Amino acid sequence: MKQVSQALTKNSSLILITIELILVSFSLFESVLTWILLIVACAAVIRGAIHFNFHKHLPSIRTLNLLAILSALGLIYSGMSLGLLIGMVNLLVLACALKLMQVRTQKDIYQLIISLFFLIGCGFIFNQSIVYSLFYCAMCLLLLLSLACHHAPNIRLKSQFKRVFTLSLQAAPIGILLFLVLPQLPPLWQTPKSKSMETGLAEQITPGDIASLSQSSELAFRATFIGTVPVSSERYWRAIVMEDFDGKTWKIHPYRKQLRNQQLRANQEFQPKLTGTYWDYQVIAEPTHQNWLFGLDLATPNGNASQVEIFQSNEFQLISHQKLVSQYQYKVRSYPQALSTQPFSQLDQQLNLSVPKNGNPLTRQWINELRTQYADNQEFIQAVLAHFTTNSFIYTLKPALMYSDPIDKFLFENQAGFCSHYASALAFSLRLGGIPARIVTGYQGGELATDAQTSYISVYQYDAHAWVEIWQPNSGWLRIDPTALVSPDRINLGLREAMAEEGSFLSDSPFALARMIDVAWLNNIRLLLADMDYNWSRWILGFNKQHQQELFKSILGKLTPDRMSLLGLGITTIITLLLTLFFIPHWLENRLDKTQRYYQQAIKLLNNKQLGRKNWQGPIELANQVNQRYSVEIAEPFATLTKLYVRLVYQSSNITTQGQLNDKQCHKMMRKALAQLKAELARLN
Amino acid sequence: MKLLKKLTSNWLNKRIPAAQKHKLNHKNIFIFPSKFGGLFLALCVLLFLLGTNYQNNLMLLLCYFLLALFLVNLLASYINFARIELHQGKSAQVFVGDNLHLPLWLNSDVDNKHMPDGELYFKFKLDKQNKSQIKTAMTKVDVNVYTNPISLNYPCTNRGALSLPRITLSSYFPLGLFRCWTHLAFNNQIIVYPEPIPCKIHLSSHPHSVEDSSVQAGTELTGHDDFSHLKAYQAGEPLHHVAWKQVAKGRGMVSKQFSSVENQIGWLKLATNQSNENLELDISKLTFQVIELSREQQKFGLDLGNTCIAPDVGHAHTQACLTALALFPQSKA
Repeated sequence: MKQVSQALTKNSSLILITIELILVSFSLFESVLTWILLIVACAAVIRGAIHFNFHKHLPSIRTLNLLAILSALGLIYSGMSLGLLIGMVNLLVLACALKLMQVRTQKDIYQLIISLFFLIGCGFIFNQSIVYSLFYCAMCLLLLLSLACHHAPNIRLKSQFKRVFTLSLQAAPIGILLFLVLPQLPPLWQTPKSKSMETGLAEQITPGDIASLSQSSELAFRATFIGTVPVSSERYWRAIVMEDFDGKTWKIHPYRKQLRNQQLRANQEFQPKLTGTYWDYQVIAEPTHQNWLFGLDLATPNGNASQVEIFQSNEFQLISHQKLVSQYQYKVRSYPQALSTQPFSQLDQQLNLSVPKNGNPLTRQWINELRTQYADNQEFIQAVLAHFTTNSFIYTLKPALMYSDPIDKFLFENQAGFCSHYASALAFSLRLGGIPARIVTGYQGGELATDAQTSYISVYQYDAHAWVEIWQPNSGWLRIDPTALVSPDRINLGLREAMAEEGSFLSDSPFALARMIDVAWLNNIRLLLADMDYNWSRWILGFNKQHQQELFKSILGKLTPDRMSLLGLGITTIITLLLTLFFIPHWLENRLDKTQRYYQQAIKLLNNKQLGRKNWQGPIELANQVNQRYSVEIAEPFATLTKLYVRLVYQSSNITTQGQLNDKQCHKMMRKALAQLKAELARLN
Repeated sequence: MKLLKKLTSNWLNKRIPAAQKHKLNHKNIFIFPSKFGGLFLALCVLLFLLGTNYQNNLMLLLCYFLLALFLVNLLASYINFARIELHQGKSAQVFVGDNLHLPLWLNSDVDNKHMPDGELYFKFKLDKQNKSQIKTAMTKVDVNVYTNPISLNYPCTNRGALSLPRITLSSYFPLGLFRCWTHLAFNNQIIVYPEPIPCKIHLSSHPHSVEDSSVQAGTELTGHDDFSHLKAYQAGEPLHHVAWKQVAKGRGMVSKQFSSVENQIGWLKLATNQSNENLELDISKLTFQVIELSREQQKFGLDLGNTCIAPDVGHAHTQACLTALALFPQSKA
C-alpha cells in the first residue's frame, strides 16, 4: 500500500487531475458554493505541495473524515435552498476535492476521473455556448491525458498528448455518427430543476421597483423566418399575460393557473380561430428553466412535434410542457390579424376589469372625471392616451422608486419610467374606466440578420418589454403600447437608440460588445460571433428528433422499416470500416516489406527440396551452394533473386544514379525470377 | 469445476502451445473491458440518461464520444499488446528453497519504433491448490524504462523436473479501459536440484562394496604420486613441479602433472532401503557432497542404486550427477 501511494505521488497524472478539477469547478462558479471552491483550492495546494516535494505527507484519514463530515453538514445547511440539481453538482465537486486530498490507490484515481467526466457532463447543463463547449472539450482531452499518464508514467508528455489526440480524433467521427443516428428520445422522467436558475422574464412585475432586466445583453431567443420578416414595429413577442393587479404588482391570475392545470389534466387546450395572413418561423429559445415560450401574436404551434410539446392557453400564451433546461427549438405560425377575432368569455371580462378597492386615489379621481366627460369608449381611450402625449413623459431606465400609490406618482408626479410603468398605468386606468385590459410581457424588436437563404432575428434580454391589450366589443382584443407614444424610438429603433442620450443602455456592463456598435470592426466581430452562435444553436444544440428524421429522409427518401434497418446496417458498416482504417498502420507494420517477402518465398520453395540453409550462410554463399547442387534452370533465377535482394537490402539508396533501376523495377524483376523458379521446381516434380 | 478447469487448460494447450519464443497476435491475445472499463460504460449510461432528460445535445455528444473512444481504445490496446515478442533465456541452476530467476527477453531483436508502451504485468498462472503453497508476486515492468532480460521469480519447493505454470502477461495500456492478456507457456527443461545440506564427505572406494570404507575428506586428492603428463607452466604453480630437464633441453618451462591413485577415486553412494524422510535428507547431503567435490575438481562417481554414473570430473559430470539426484528415484530416460 505504501509503495503504491509513493508511486502515485510521483505520477504526473495526479497533477493533471488537480488542474482539471480546478478549471472545471471554477467554470461552474455560478452554481458552486464559494466555500466548496475554497476546499477545491485547498486540495489543489496539498497536491501541489506533495508533487513539488514541499511536503511529504498526505493528510491523515481521520482529518479527512472530519473534514468530510463538516462539509457534508455545511452542504446540507446551505444546500437546502439550492435545489436538487445544483445540490448534486455541489456535492460532486466537494467529493472530488476531498478525494483528491486522499488519493492513495489506483481505485481512487479511477473514481476521481469518472467523477470529473460526469462533472464535465453537468457543466453542459449550465453552459452551452461555443466557447464553453471548446473549453470542456479541452478539459476532456486533459482528463484523457491524465489517464494515459497514469497507465504509462514514463512516456514524455508530448508523445502522450499526441497519442491521446490521435485516439480522440479517431473516436470523434464515430461519436458524431452515433449522435446523428441513435434515436433522440424524449425525457425519460422529470429532472430536478431549481428555482434560482430561472432567467429571462419574471412572472410578476412591480413597476415601482428597480429596473434590472433591461441591462443584460444575453440572448433570449432567435427566430428564423422562412418567408417575409415582420418590420421592427410589428415584432411584439408575447410571452406572459398578467391579469391580476393588487395596486403595485401585476401577476398571472391564480385562477388562470388553476384553469390551465384542469385543462392539462383533461387534455384540452385552447383552439384559436385563425384568419388572415401568417408568418412561418422557427424559434430557438435559450434555456430559461421556465415554461414560457415566445411568439408574435397570435401564435400557434406548427408541425407535429411542436403541437405535442406546446400547450396553448386561453390567454394565447405558448407554454412548453417541459421546462427549458437546454436550448429548445419549436416551429410557430403567427396570424397578426387573428387577435381581434378571438372569443371573449365571461371569465375574461371579470378578470380584466377587476381593480383593487383602494389606493391610487388621484388616478381614480382623474378617471372618474374623464369618464363623465367621455361616455364613448373610443373617445375615453383616446383621452387617456392623450395624457401621455400631452404631458412631458420621459422614457428612462433609471426611474425614481415609487413605493406607495405608484401609479399616482408615475402619472402625475414623476412622469418618467420604462415600459412596465407605462403599461401598468394604462391598464389600470382603462380598467377603472370599465374597459377590459391586461398587461402582456415579452420582447419587442430584435436584431435582424439576413444572409442568402435565411434571415433570423436575435432577441436579447434588453429587448424585454411590456405592453397592454384591451378588449372592445367591436374590435376584439387590441394591442396598445403606451411606450410607443412616449418614446417611438424604443419601438422603431430599439432600446440602444432610445437610450443613446441617457447613456444607460447596458450601463452595468461597460465592455459588452453590444455597447460598442459605433466601432465598425468591433461591431463586425460582434455580428460574426452572433452568426456563429446562431448556427451553433441551430444545428448542434437544436438538433432534435425532427432534424434527425429529416436527415434520414434526405438519405433514404422514405422511412420504411426496411430502409431503416438498411440504414442501421450501413452505419454499422461505416463504423467497422473506420475502425479497420485505424488498424491498417499496424497491419502494414507487421507485414514484411516486399524485398524480404520475395526472398523468403524463394528460400521456402528451395527448402521443400531439402536445401538446408545453415545459420551462418549469407545470401551470396547460399546462392553459390544452390549453383553447385541444382541444375542451371533453378540456379539462374535464384542467382538473379539473390543479386537483387543483396542490392536492395545492403546497397544504400543514396548512390543510385539515373541509369540504374529503381526499387519498383527491382521488385518486378524479383517477382519474375520467383515465378520462373516456381515453374522450374514444379517441372522437377 | 475440475472438468471445466481441465477443459480450459486443454484448450489453452492447443491454442497457445509451449514454445521458446512467443510473438503475440490474434491467436494468443485475450482482450476484455477492465473493471475501470465497466465503470466507464456506466458513466456513459449515466451521461446518456442525464443528457436525454435534460434534452442536452452536448451531453449526448460527450456520451457518444466516450463510447466511441471506448471502441477505438479496444484497437489501440490490442495493437500495443501485439507488438510484444518474448523469448525465454537460459536460467541459472536452481536448488530447492531458492527462487528460480526466469529470464525473459522482451523484443530483443526489434527496432525501437515498434516497441510496445506502458506497463506490463507478469504473473504465474497458479491453480487454487498451488496458490496456497507458492507465493509469487506480480512483476510490474514499465516497457518505457526497462532492461532486458526481465527476470521473473518463482520459488522452487520440490526437486525434480520443474513444471512451470503458464505466465500471465497483461497490460492496461493506453487508457486502462481494456485489459489485454495472454497465458504463455515456455518450453523449458528446468531441473530443480535438491537442497544441499552440509555434511562430511563420504567417499567409498568401491562402487558395490558392502562395507562403508570411506576416505577422509580433506585429504590431498590431487596426488603427487604418479606422474601422468607434461603441461605448459602456468604462473603460480609450485616450482618443484617444473620439469627442469625439459627446460635444460630448451623446450621452455613445462610442469609435470600428477594424478591421484586409482583407488582414491571415490564413489558417492545412496544408502538404499531407507524411510522417506531419511531418503530426502540423504539426497540433500549427497547434493552437497557433489557440489563440494566438483568445486575441488575431484573425480568421483555416483551410485544411486538404479542409476550409476561413472567417475569423472567437470561441469557436465556435475550436472549429470545433480540431475540424477534431482530425479531420483526415476532413472533418467
